[in-house]
Amino acid sequence: MPPASEGQEILQISIPVVVLLIILFYGGTLLISYFISRKKENADDYMTAGNKIGFGVSAASMTATWIWASSMYASAEAGYNYGVSGPIHYGFWGALMILFIYPFGKRIRKVAPRAHTLAEVMYARHGRSSQLMLAGSNVLGSTISLTSNFIAGGALFAILTPLNFGTGIVVVAAGVLLYTLWSGFRASVLTDFVQVMAMLGATAIIIPVVFFAAGGPDMFEAGVAAGNVTPEQQSFFSSEAFMNQGAPYIAAVLAYAIGNQTIAQRLFAVREDLIKPTFVTATIGYGATIIGIGMFGVIALYVGIDPLNGDLNSLIPQMAGTYLGPILLCLAFIMIIGSLSSTADSDLSALSSIVMADVYGQGKGRGKANPRTMLTVGRVTMIVATAAALYFATAQFSILDLLVFVGAMWGCLVFPVISSFYWKKVTNAAFSVSVVAALFVFLPVRFEWIPVDGILGYGVEILSIIGIGVILGIMGFGFFGMKPALIIATVGMVAVLPFSFNYLSDYPVLSASLVAYAVSFLVCYFMSFRSKQDFDYSVIKKITGDFDTEEDEAQLERTNVGNAATDKQGE
Amino acid sequence: MTVGLTIYILMWPVLVATVMFAIARGFFKEWLKARREGRMII
Repeated sequence: MPPASEGQEILQISIPVVVLLIILFYGGTLLISYFISRKKENADDYMTAGNKIGFGVSAASMTATWIWASSMYASAEAGYNYGVSGPIHYGFWGALMILFIYPFGKRIRKVAPRAHTLAEVMYARHGRSSQLMLAGSNVLGSTISLTSNFIAGGALFAILTPLNFGTGIVVVAAGVLLYTLWSGFRASVLTDFVQVMAMLGATAIIIPVVFFAAGGPDMFEAGVAAGNVTPEQQSFFSSEAFMNQGAPYIAAVLAYAIGNQTIAQRLFAVREDLIKPTFVTATIGYGATIIGIGMFGVIALYVGIDPLNGDLNSLIPQMAGTYLGPILLCLAFIMIIGSLSSTADSDLSALSSIVMADVYGQGKGRGKANPRTMLTVGRVTMIVATAAALYFATAQFSILDLLVFVGAMWGCLVFPVISSFYWKKVTNAAFSVSVVAALFVFLPVRFEWIPVDGILGYGVEILSIIGIGVILGIMGFGFFGMKPALIIATVGMVAVLPFSFNYLSDYPVLSASLVAYAVSFLVCYFMSFRSKQDFDYSVIKKITGDFDTEEDEAQLERTNVGNAATDKQGE
Repeated sequence: MTVGLTIYILMWPVLVATVMFAIARGFFKEWLKARREGRMII
C-alpha cells in the first residue's frame, strides 16, 4: 500500500487480481463479440446494425457511450473545484443536451433513414466540402475522445494497481480493439449492455459506501469547521461554478451531440419509433451516474483530501483506493474500465464508419464502392486510430480541457448543420464559409492570442451575447418551433445584456464558444437568406442508402438463418 | 444543511438503480423475443 498524500494510504489491487479482472472483463466482451460475429460481415451492419435495434440495446448503448471515464473524472474534478454545485454544472447540462438533441434527431432520421454518418448526410445536402468539414471535425473529436479514455485508463492503472500509466493505456487499447475489430458497431452496442450494467451497478453501490466510509453526514460540518470549503463552494447557486463550468459546458455539449459521430451512429441505428424512449432513458441514466460520481469530488473537498501529485484526474481512483475494501475496489476498477471501454469502442466504430462511408464510400461513389473493401478499410482505420490515440495519450493532457475544447470547436458547426435540415436556402458555400469563419474567430479568442479589450473586447462581447441568443434559439426551435424560438432568443439576449457586457470577455472558454455560435450563425444566415436555392429533401434519402446490395443482404440472411438453426440444434 | 446534503448525495445512486432496472428489463424482453424468433438480438 503506497502512501497517497500526507496521512492517507491507498489500497491497490495486486497484479494477479488485475490480470484476472482484465481477463474476465475483456475476455467476456470478446466472447459476446464472438457469439454475434459472422464469417462474412455486412458493411452497413458494421456501421449501423441495420437501422433497427431495440430499446434495451439502444438505451444501454446510448447511456454507455455518453458516460465515459473522462466525464466521470471531469465531474469529480468539478465537484472538487466548485463544491456542491460543481457536479450539477457538469452532469445536469450534459444530460439535458441528450434531450435537446432528440427533436433534431427525429428530423435527421426522417430525411435520412438509412444513413451511416452525419457527414454523409451533409454530402447529400450540400456536397463534398461540407461533408469533409464535418467528417474532419468528427475524426478530430473521436480521436481526442479515444485519447482521453486511454488517459483515464492509464491513470486508473497507475493509482489502483502496481502497474504504470503506460501499461494501463496499452492494456485498455488492446482490450477494446480486440473485441471491436471484427464486428464493429454491432459488437460495440451489444457489449455496451454488459458494460452499462457493470457501470450503473457499481455506481449505485460505491457512492453510498464511500460517503459513509468518509464520515457520513458529519463530514459536512467538520469540513466547514476545518476550513476545507469556501462559502462559494457550499452554495448551490455558485456563480463561479456556473460561469467557469456550467455555461461553457452548455455551449459545448449542445455541439457535442451534433458533432459527435458516436451519437449520430446510434441515432441511425435505433428503430425509428424508439428514438424518444432511448433518448429519455439515456438522459436520466447519464445525469444520475455522472452527477453521482461527481459526489466523490464533493466528498474529497469536505474531507480535505489533496489530489495525488496535484493531478485532479486521479481523484476517483484515489477516493476508491482510500475508502473501499478489496472487493468493492475491484468493482470500482471494473466500473471505470467499463465506462472508458464503452466509449472507446464507440469512438473506434465512429472513426471506422466515417472513413468507410465518407472517405471510401462516397469517394468511390455509391454502387461502385465494394462492401468487402469497405470492411477492410474500417478495420484498418480502427488499428491506425488506436495507435494514434496511444501516441497522443502519452502527453497526458487535462481531460476537462480537452472536452471543453472539442465541444467549443464543434460549436462552429451546430447552426450550419441544424439549419441545413430545415432551411432549404442554406447553400454549400454558406455552410463551408460560416464554419471556417467561426473557427477563425474562435481560436484566437479561446487561446487569448489577441488582447480581448477595447474595441476588440466589445466586439467579442457583442458576439458572445448573440451566441447566447443562437443557443437559446436552437434549443427553443427544437421543441417549440420557429416563432417561440425567436422570442426565447430575443428575450434571452435582452435579459443577459446588462450582466454580460464588460463581463463575458473575462471568461475566454465561455466567450470563445459563444463567439463560435454567433459567427457561424451570422455568416450562414446572411449568405443564405437571399439564396434562390430550394433544396428537395427527398434527395438525401436516395443518396444515403445502403452500400451492400440486395444480393449481398439475401446471401447474408441465408447464412444467418443457417447459423441460427445450427445454434438451436446444438442447444 | 446536513440532512439536505446527505439526501443530495444519496439520491443519485437510487436514480441510477432505477435506470439500470429499466434498461435490463427492455434488454431481456428483446433477447427473449429474438430467441423465440430464432434470430440474433442485433
